[in-house]
Amino acid sequence: MRPLQPVAPGTRIALGVAFFVLFFAVWAAVTFSGYVPKTFLADPLTMVRSGWDLLANQGFAKDIGMTVWRVLGGFFIAAVLAVPLGVLMGAYKPVEAFFEPFVSFARYLPASAFIPLLILWAGIGEAQKLAVIFIGSFFQLVLMIAVTVGNTRRDLVEAAYTLGAGDRGVVTRVLMPSSAPEIAETLRMVLGWAWTYVIVAELIGASSGIGHMITDSQALLATDQIIFGIIVIGVIGLVTDFAFKALNRALFPWARL
Amino acid sequence: MPPILDIRGVSKTFPGGTVALQATDLAVAENDFITILGPSGCGKSTLLRMVAGLDTPTTGTITLDGAPVAGPGADRGMVFQSYTLFPWLTVLQNVCFGLREKGLPAAQQQEIARHFIGKVGLQGFEGHFPKQLSGGMQQRTALARALANDPRILLMDEPFGALDHQTRELMQELLQGIWEAERKTVLFVTHDIDEAIFMGSRVVVMTARPGRIKSDVPVAIDHPRAYSVKTSRVFTELKARLTEDIRTEVRRAAGLADAPA
Repeated sequence: MRPLQPVAPGTRIALGVAFFVLFFAVWAAVTFSGYVPKTFLADPLTMVRSGWDLLANQGFAKDIGMTVWRVLGGFFIAAVLAVPLGVLMGAYKPVEAFFEPFVSFARYLPASAFIPLLILWAGIGEAQKLAVIFIGSFFQLVLMIAVTVGNTRRDLVEAAYTLGAGDRGVVTRVLMPSSAPEIAETLRMVLGWAWTYVIVAELIGASSGIGHMITDSQALLATDQIIFGIIVIGVIGLVTDFAFKALNRALFPWARL
Repeated sequence: MPPILDIRGVSKTFPGGTVALQATDLAVAENDFITILGPSGCGKSTLLRMVAGLDTPTTGTITLDGAPVAGPGADRGMVFQSYTLFPWLTVLQNVCFGLREKGLPAAQQQEIARHFIGKVGLQGFEGHFPKQLSGGMQQRTALARALANDPRILLMDEPFGALDHQTRELMQELLQGIWEAERKTVLFVTHDIDEAIFMGSRVVVMTARPGRIKSDVPVAIDHPRAYSVKTSRVFTELKARLTEDIRTEVRRAAGLADAPA
């Protein structure tokens, strides 16, 4: 091993899988041996069995669907508003000076702390869940997109001007396309964060969703179900992340050349 | 014949008080190829950027065909030292950039673009992205992109400065050939004496910072210029003279006293 020396693709996959194997092996060892009591931590086999039971008999698929819908819905609303605002802030400095201080402040407001307020305002329906995701992702998105657009290479902007582009042309034909891959990358990252907010939102005042199932299981001390719920979130997160990465690669081949 | 570009009393003082350029006058006639030669930091790039409209003069006026320059525009095409092709566009799309901005129909854009891509010898590379091209090829594309816009004057800011010596000489010949065919008016900034003489019909020498024009020397070498003129007597005599001019300025810029004669 030497610093920064790349690893062969096959070895990379083998090493990545190896850690999962090790993780499950340690988990199995401490639970099957009785070292950790079942009340605190279910063993992997029980977890898989009750996971199947959840999906087959207790309608957990619907919960998963609800959670995915909430994440994507809230994130979609946040993205649709944040991308244009971020681009405007990055491009036009007075707009940035107007919004930036507030957005910088707002992004440190913990989305989960808004839940009691949002329940008061929006009840315990879907609007409240979407609002939590929105608050958690909107401000982060705006700031990161504004920075990306603001960092556009100045010489490209100047080249566009000398080619006869106007201000509008510079925004739509230089700032936006040059920032697009990084904006897509920002969306991918913040979508990951949105997953943590949705579960918190579902822990309180929800009647469906993965978070709701986890709270219910807590009352029953069903650690097997809780762990299954957590793993489902992880798997969905991993799959969406891969899909997003693949989409970005397909959309912006020039950024990887 | 009135000059197409007229620079009168133009100076530039940066915020903070650094004088980059002292009051400068320069008239550029139609079909002139003027090379501006000077040590680094002499304000030659600043002068060019002000003509392009990317910087504003502190004093003085710049007029193009009698109209004052108020900002950047398609009538002054520019080739930068840094690679400024748009990385998300192919060679063809890059060359079409200005034409699309003018609102030309797509078919006509492509026809013009392909013509200039051919002129810089890049047929077959239309679909390549900039990162797939060598530095020399990128600058040739940038040249085609500027020429496709049919500017009144072409501004070149050390366009071959980042290239290796051999590529640079090839580029000089290529540009010389294009200029002989198209007779564009060119303002070309460089710190390379050979390049200044080989390319220019006039060499304008600038002093060290704060810059001003030190001398304005016509290059009496006939066109078409082959590469061999670099060893001709006219060339070497002119080179000796300009080397002396520049050397004084470089020494001054470096803070060294004038060398004893």
